[in-house]
Amino acid sequence: MRVTKGARIVAGTALLAVAVAACGGGGGGTATNEGGGSSTQPVRVDIAKPQHELSPTNTNDTSGAEVLNALFVGLVDYDKDKNVILRGAESIEPDAESKVWTIKLKDGYKFHNGEAVTAKSYVDAWNAAAYGPNAQEGGHFFNAVEGYADVAPVDPDGEEGPQKAPEPKAKTLAGLKVVDDKTFTVTLARPYSGFKTMLGYTTFMPMPSVAFDGNGGIKKEFGENPIGNGPFKMAKPFKLATDTTISMVRYDEFVEGKAKIDSVEFKISSDKGTSWNELRAGNLDIMDQLPPEAIATAKQELGDRYIEQPSSGVGYLGFNTKNGEEWAKNVELRKAVSMAIDRKTITEQVFSGTRVPADDFVSPIVAGYRKGACTACVYDPAKAKELWEKNGGGKGPISLSYNGDGGHKEWIEATANNLRQNLGVEVKVDSFESFASILDELDKGKVAGAFRMAWIMDYPSIENYLRPIFGTGGSSNHGRYSNKDFDALLEKGDSAKSDEEGVKIYQQAGDMLVKDMPYIPVYFYQTNGGYSQRVKNVTIDPFERIDLAKVERVS
Amino acid sequence: MGRYVIRRLLQAIPVLLGSTFLIFCTVYALPGDPVTILGGERRIDPVLAAQLREQYGLNDPLIVQYWNYISGVFVGDFGETFQGVQVADLFAGKFEVTIQLAVTALIIEAIVGLGLGLYAALRRGRWQDHAVLALTLLLVSVPTLVSGFVLQLVLGVKLKTELGIDFFPISGTEAGWRSFLVPGFVLAGTSIAYLMRLTRTSLMETLRADYIRTAVAKGMPRSRVLGRHALRNSLIPLVTYLGADLGTLMGGAVITEAIFNLNGIGQQLFQSVARRENAVVVGVVTVLVLVYLLANLIVDLLYAVLDPRIRYE
Repeated sequence: MRVTKGARIVAGTALLAVAVAACGGGGGGTATNEGGGSSTQPVRVDIAKPQHELSPTNTNDTSGAEVLNALFVGLVDYDKDKNVILRGAESIEPDAESKVWTIKLKDGYKFHNGEAVTAKSYVDAWNAAAYGPNAQEGGHFFNAVEGYADVAPVDPDGEEGPQKAPEPKAKTLAGLKVVDDKTFTVTLARPYSGFKTMLGYTTFMPMPSVAFDGNGGIKKEFGENPIGNGPFKMAKPFKLATDTTISMVRYDEFVEGKAKIDSVEFKISSDKGTSWNELRAGNLDIMDQLPPEAIATAKQELGDRYIEQPSSGVGYLGFNTKNGEEWAKNVELRKAVSMAIDRKTITEQVFSGTRVPADDFVSPIVAGYRKGACTACVYDPAKAKELWEKNGGGKGPISLSYNGDGGHKEWIEATANNLRQNLGVEVKVDSFESFASILDELDKGKVAGAFRMAWIMDYPSIENYLRPIFGTGGSSNHGRYSNKDFDALLEKGDSAKSDEEGVKIYQQAGDMLVKDMPYIPVYFYQTNGGYSQRVKNVTIDPFERIDLAKVERVS
Repeated sequence: MGRYVIRRLLQAIPVLLGSTFLIFCTVYALPGDPVTILGGERRIDPVLAAQLREQYGLNDPLIVQYWNYISGVFVGDFGETFQGVQVADLFAGKFEVTIQLAVTALIIEAIVGLGLGLYAALRRGRWQDHAVLALTLLLVSVPTLVSGFVLQLVLGVKLKTELGIDFFPISGTEAGWRSFLVPGFVLAGTSIAYLMRLTRTSLMETLRADYIRTAVAKGMPRSRVLGRHALRNSLIPLVTYLGADLGTLMGGAVITEAIFNLNGIGQQLFQSVARRENAVVVGVVTVLVLVYLLANLIVDLLYAVLDPRIRYE
């Protein structure tokens, strides 16, 4: 037994040595007040890392918008039927042709530093957003306003060319005019009846005078410690580079009434699976997006604290209708492809129920969505095969392209199998390493057949699902669809007298898409959220933002 | 010895320049335009894109971009990200997290790996030896992703919700050193297995050497034979392995940091590669190369301590 004893001594010495080293180097963390009483603990909300510092004009991501929504109140908001309701605005009235809009503000809204929210707070913020050299993510929202080309001129020889973008001719938008403290007017470049619906987006929030650097820009410090006019204010500045939490406390003088909870903490996480574990262990209160693998357990474990509702995203298969493969140019063959895809199985099996089969080109969350509008979106393998044969589809081949960086491989493979089986064609699946690289190829018109694409709305309007993707020269028109009648209908919808009338005309444009099938809608995204037993009254709006002012603690 | 150290440090300069240039070229050559990527699933506005390209000098040729970057580094300016964050600020808190994680992993690796390796070597051929070998197989074959989530669920969630023991945090660094225990173990997983096997073989080989037999024959106590003669000589390859592993652990923290939501350099590296942020990627790599070089230097210097016959010229 002497061997053993020796070994013990040796091993013991080694352990001791490393343990001593451990004390020197390993520790150094900061202890916090873990496990305080539930009344002192903030409501903890899971978010991903915001893309930018917290300035409304430079926020285009859902996480950033989520945070800003607690700090700021804009002109309008949306009720649960997706209709526009006034919030900071007393009235928003268009002239006869929907070109000049007069916006009157409600009294009583104040920034957290005591400054009153005036017409100037909006106009200055919007000008700063639109001014090209400020390079704000929200800038392009103002291209509908008169004078946008003067503040943000386009590079004359395109993005790739050597020429610089010219110096802007103006520093402020010609279309924005302050009338008095509580009134301002917006002149649009062309009539647009849906303008009011855009105004609930983060980019249109007002900013106090301390936010501006006097040169038309926005101070960097403002993005770190924004001063809003909403139900919560910053508890401490947020450093994008290193901070992992954003802390807010209730703003007691909020004119719409105090929020029900006194503090909020946004916890930035990198992995939804981890956040889900935190929620289960009681270290997190609200998640607005659960990981797909957790959906089944979440339904069981959370019960009525599980949230499931449609979100704004739509997943499509697009086609290169201009210079792609022969079949992609034929509308009947595109319909055959659409009918050969088993959307139900794909959304249930591949996406574990986090998507629903699409049956229209627009998302169910906007006014104007029609259930089952896309007649060729119904799974009918027999009819698909018949259509394919009758129109000379032959053996194909069909190519399907997707970007490998976004978790699309599985459903594209499933779709490919559907097509192989139901149409009897040869299907080639092309993976691009990133979304950016597939966009490059699409721009050059080099993607041969079908490609995966998705759209997340900028503002809750049916128009936002039509013009950018299918309008001639639209900013995201990757299929190069161009139809004069479709464009004409969009314009007619823009200058409609009312929202309702506009929606009807846009729907007619939607009918043309159903007929021409330049893309096929495959699935609608969903919001699958959940919350802990410590809170109640958790609601999520069409922008996937949680209404934190309404959230209550369970006492 | 002083001259040796200085020579080694000077040698680091061309290595650093070469490696940063290679990394710069690699990131530059990756398909996809950094400005387009900023838009995510959306198409980025052309006006904004032109503005950003101009601002970050993306229209310049590769060599000009590299020169702009590296000349900045010499005066302590590591550039900024597309979000306008200074890369140097970005590093501040993050390297601290990653170093804590890597050091915790290294300590766990050393304790478990050396300890069980020695144990197995001394029980050679017995069931304890086989058990240790089986354990190494298990450690090598379970991917970090799996072991990370399983341990997180068992030690973080179940232990707290079912037994009320709140010792291992699920994620984040709020709980101080305890935050790094589970991620450290997960990160060290494969290395532990290699170190166990290395230790076991190394010691077994030494134990068979002639001088050990001589020492035993002279009637030297077993403990002295093991401690002074066997272990000291077996340690050289192990120290080499541990030293080189520090760099690997720091660079390999990407997945572990993501699972345990540790706001460290691995996560940053991953995001920055995805976003083609040359400045950040090259900055991280520069520091990692430095860590490697320093760790190797320290390892080389340790040899002299372990084996007095080794001399530095």
